[in-house]
Order: sequence, then structure tokens, then C-alpha cells
Amino acid sequence: MDLKLFAEAAQSTGVAEWMRTSVKAMPFIEATHVLCVALIFGSILIVDLRMLGYPHTKRPWTRTYSELIRITWAAFAVAVITGALMFAPNAVTYVGNTAFQFKMLALAAVGVNMLIFQSVSARSVAAWDQHASAPLSVKLAGVLSILLWITVIMLGRWIGFTKGYDFTVPEDVQFEFPG
Amino acid sequence: MVEFANWLQSTPFSVALQTRTWLIALLQAIHILMIGVVFVSLLMISLRVLDRVHREEAFSTVWDRFAPWMWTGLAAMALTGLFLIIGEPVRQATATSFWLKMGLLVVAVACVLWLRRATKNQAGPDPARATRLVAGGVIAILVVIVFLGRAIAYDVEVWGSWT
Repeated sequence: MDLKLFAEAAQSTGVAEWMRTSVKAMPFIEATHVLCVALIFGSILIVDLRMLGYPHTKRPWTRTYSELIRITWAAFAVAVITGALMFAPNAVTYVGNTAFQFKMLALAAVGVNMLIFQSVSARSVAAWDQHASAPLSVKLAGVLSILLWITVIMLGRWIGFTKGYDFTVPEDVQFEFPG
Repeated sequence: MVEFANWLQSTPFSVALQTRTWLIALLQAIHILMIGVVFVSLLMISLRVLDRVHREEAFSTVWDRFAPWMWTGLAAMALTGLFLIIGEPVRQATATSFWLKMGLLVVAVACVLWLRRATKNQAGPDPARATRLVAGGVIAILVVIVFLGRAIAYDVEVWGSWT
């Protein structure tokens, strides 16, 4: 499906219209999004640092993981919903925004990193779950995950500063300023 | 206060921040990252008090594990927050959300210190009812603080034009 058509369709939905006209919806949705993204980063950070052996390997990685993964996924689900609600009212602008495009790419990279970890590295978890250093592939997945989530958050904030202004003015355009 | 904010806004340091959009964005992003560190650290401490995580470990062990992250994250938030205030002092000083956020922040820190004191020598899994209430309450306060932080940019929309 053409991305621009999709954006136009999203922008013309009733939800998008409600988000554009509701005065108090946007701050509430944005705050929920920030809270969820912060929760994702904080919970992932603990799991990833444990993969790197921090603070120690006395506690099984699987226990840390199972305690936090529900928080991560719940926050991720709400972040996707609130993100979609923020995207819909200005969808056409967003899809043409470089920061937004890179954020989506970084999120895709997060997904690929997680899939590779779950399908390859996590299979050997019994060998490094407790009292043992994780193999290099696991540590690499942990470092990548931390760096990618930092990138996602940085780009997410940058969208707010570039939305609507992220274009190059053609050289032949003449501006007329009043006064 | 508004007079002071106006003066601060005209200082070279504030102007330097105002004219560097990338720096404001960077400071805000670090602020959000630190919210994650502080929130989840405190969440782990509170959930341990509520006996939901780290059940096999003493409270002091969980505190020693997460408290340094929480305090370091809070210090980084204070620093980035200070720069953000200097970058736009008038908007912050005139926002109801900002003052409510600061007030609740003091309450949250007091709750954390109280929590530490109440559980310092506790090894068992059964903290007092008041301790559990504070553990749950401080998380609720943090959620409100995050909402107020975002609401600063929408102060009139959220609180009305009387602010």
C-alpha cells in the first residue's frame, strides 16, 4: 500500500478528527506515551544490563526477565496505541518527516535485534542463566538494545522540533514580510 | 517570580539555550531517559515492598541494587531540568503544571526517604500497611509528575486561561 495514501486515509478518520479538535486529548495522550516509553526503556535497561553481567550473575537472568517482561509489553502496547493516536491527526506530515522515518527504522531494528536474540542467543540461556558470563552474542544483543532504545527516544523527541518544518525551501521562492 | 524569569530569559546563557534547538531536544531526551531509570528503579523498590518482585531477596538488598540508579537518575533529571528551566524560564514560571510538579516532587522524595526508614531493618516479607500504602502512593505520584511535566507545554489547554 502506498504510504502517502495510507497517511491520508489515517488523517481522515474520525479518531484523527477528534484528536485535532479535542483540546485536552493531545496532552493526555502525549504524557501517556512519554510514560510508557520511559517504562519500556527502564525495564529493558535492567534486563539488558543483566545480560552484560551487571550488577552480578547470582540472580538468574530468566527470573529478572520474567518479572519485567510483562511491564515492558504492557507499556509497549499502550505506547503503540498512543503513538497511533498522535500520528493520525498529522499523518501526512509525519510520513514525510525524516526524524519520524528514522525513528520507525530504529524501532524496526529493535524488533530484528529482539527476534535474533530470542531465536538464536536465548536458546542457550541454560548455560549462562546464573553464575556464568553470557556469550558475546548475548552481550552484543544487550548493548544494541540499549543503544537502539536511546536512539528511538532521541529521535522521538526530535520529531517534536521538526514536525512541519522539515523541508528545504526551494531557492526560487520569494518571501514577502509585512512591515 | 515573573520578573526574575524575565531577567533570566535575557541572560546570555538562556539566550544560548533558546537559540540551540538541538540542545533543548537533547536535554529533553536525556530527561525522558532518566524518567525511565528513576521510575523503574522506584517501581522495583515499591514492588518489593508490596512483595511482587525479588521475593527471595531482603528489602535492603533490593534497595542497595536500585537506590543508586534512582538517586543518580534523579540528579541527572534535576540537572537537565535546570537547564530546561533556564532555557525557557517565563513559560515554566507561569505554568501551573510546573509548580504542581515541583511540589509533588518534594512529596515523592519525602515518601522515598520515609520508605527507606520504615524498611531499613526489615528482613521479612510483611511490611506494615502504611508502608505498603506509601509504596503504592509514591508510584501514583510519579505518574502524576510525568503527566504534569508534559502538561507544562499545554498549560492553558489543561488548566484554562486563568493561569
